[in-house]
Amino acid sequence: MRQFRSMVYPYVIWITIMIVVPMLMILLYAFTTAGNEVTTIRFTLDNFIRFFNDAVFLDVLKRSLVIAVATTVLCVLLGYPIAYVIASGPEKSKMFWILMITLPTWINMLVRTYAWVGILQDDGLLNRLLGLFGLGPFPMMYTTFAVVLGMVYNFIPFMILQIHASLAKMDKSLLEAASDLGANRIQCFLRVTLPLSLPGVLSGITLVFLPAVSSFFIPKLLGGGQYVLIGNVIETQFMTSGDWNFGSAISLIMAVIIMISMYLTRKVDTDPAANGRSE
Amino acid sequence: MKKWIAMTLASVLLLAGCSGSTSGDGQSAESAVEKYGSDTLKLYNWGEYMGEDLISNFEEQFGVNVILEYFDSNEAMYTKLQAGDSYDVLVPSDYMIERLIAEGQLQELDLSLIPNISNLAEGVKNLPYDPDNTYSVPYFWGSVGIVYNHNNVDPAVVEEQGYEILRNTDYKGRIYVYDSERDSFMMAFKALGYSMNTENEAEIQEAYQWLLEMNNTMDPVYVTDEVIDGMINGTKDIAVVYSGDATTILEENPDMSFWMPSEGTNLWSDAMVIPANAENPLLAHEFINYVLTYDASMDNSTYVGYASSNQEVLDELSGEGGLFAENEAYLPRSGYDKDEVFVDNQVLKQTLSELWIKIKATK
Repeated sequence: MRQFRSMVYPYVIWITIMIVVPMLMILLYAFTTAGNEVTTIRFTLDNFIRFFNDAVFLDVLKRSLVIAVATTVLCVLLGYPIAYVIASGPEKSKMFWILMITLPTWINMLVRTYAWVGILQDDGLLNRLLGLFGLGPFPMMYTTFAVVLGMVYNFIPFMILQIHASLAKMDKSLLEAASDLGANRIQCFLRVTLPLSLPGVLSGITLVFLPAVSSFFIPKLLGGGQYVLIGNVIETQFMTSGDWNFGSAISLIMAVIIMISMYLTRKVDTDPAANGRSE
Repeated sequence: MKKWIAMTLASVLLLAGCSGSTSGDGQSAESAVEKYGSDTLKLYNWGEYMGEDLISNFEEQFGVNVILEYFDSNEAMYTKLQAGDSYDVLVPSDYMIERLIAEGQLQELDLSLIPNISNLAEGVKNLPYDPDNTYSVPYFWGSVGIVYNHNNVDPAVVEEQGYEILRNTDYKGRIYVYDSERDSFMMAFKALGYSMNTENEAEIQEAYQWLLEMNNTMDPVYVTDEVIDGMINGTKDIAVVYSGDATTILEENPDMSFWMPSEGTNLWSDAMVIPANAENPLLAHEFINYVLTYDASMDNSTYVGYASSNQEVLDELSGEGGLFAENEAYLPRSGYDKDEVFVDNQVLKQTLSELWIKIKATK
């Protein structure tokens, strides 16, 4: 076995360069002042103080979290029934529907979001369709509706696939046993199916919440420049202000918030009392 | 049958071979390599900023290949350049050129290789950031003004109020504002009667309040290039836009008019430069010279709608019977003392950028 151990080194090097070094750079930038020469690094907490002392930024943070939570909740509410229907269908249609759900993700996210601009704008597809029935036009672009729609649309495949995966590997005989023991269909679902699919829901939540909270081009395209979320603030720091230190600090704050929420999600997942698994 | 296919194939190959090696005035790829040291030019330009046939004509005439990349802001271009990417020709704006010169990132031009520089329009001669064309040769130029729908907005009100119309609540929810700190603060500074290059803290704060009030009372939509389609479709009634984009809007939608505010505006220019790390400076000079020819400038300006840096083209397009003769946005105003050119100022830029994101984020 020993001779194979050296085969690990390329991966270690890869991980170091691609993951560890950029993370350390962000950490370094976040805690230092601008205009550092390599030789004189000055540490500071000013970047964090500046963020938490500014009502505008805190407001943006709050708005981003609200949007991300709304997106995640909608993805669960819409994604679960879809995944359930697919998983309980015949094997052949399962393949078809999973393909249908993954198909759009083969196209670049930016392009798909641009397509929504064409659908939602004042003289877009949707308003023209409504116009045929004498309705509208409704202004839909540059609204919260458009932003949440864009996010749900882009991220819901992650939710459906996760839930479907955990539903598909569920042992069907458990349901038969439950109904033998007198449970009706609703009880079967609530006490057997739902707890068993919870790990899928939870990993789906993580996969939807993470990109939703930091997305910057969906609000930019569908919400207009006035729809500022935390991702847009970070983007501005790097692309126009050139204040990489402040941008890194905000990124770090977001990373901490995400880590905390992942920790809480995992806690629910591993707590046997919460999901009724006998482990 | 088979013979026929083979013959067709052979002739296609022959033709392809011909067009690959010889083209235009008979220059071949080998001679391009001999003459310029390479037959590939790397061009980094704004998106939607070139005539339809500009590149293909250049490639054909000089027997070279052009590798094209597009940027959507000077800052994005600068970041890419800092990352070590090498290009032969860039087309940044005035203040960015000033910065690149100051940082020693540009090559001095050999003007003997650019004889067409004599075609330069009066309006782009002796520009403050590079008065003697030591580093740069203007590509397009223009101003910033107000496009409005004259069916819904009284021209007399626009002309009387200027930029202040963007805070006139009669037009609440009807305006586009350009999503860039530079252009938005320009409009606020000018409306308040200050220089757009001011460093005076009180004036900056005043402009910040001006924009904040606009944000809070007018329900504006902040966009960049979407403003062109939006105004062509008549989605909103008032927008502050670059003169070249205004030209396009006015061509496409006859309900739109253009007004150059009497409070002054930003006179800008984008110019071709050769970065210090260019791999093929000789061909870069050839390209710059080519863009200044009558044909290439004509192609550029008619297709894009921005004011040409070639005097003859400018005169022809804006003169009697010209394509843009009736278009009040095409020809930039010159010699008006309240108009200014942006000066490179990193500190000011960062301050304004911070304030701008806060304005947009205020609900």
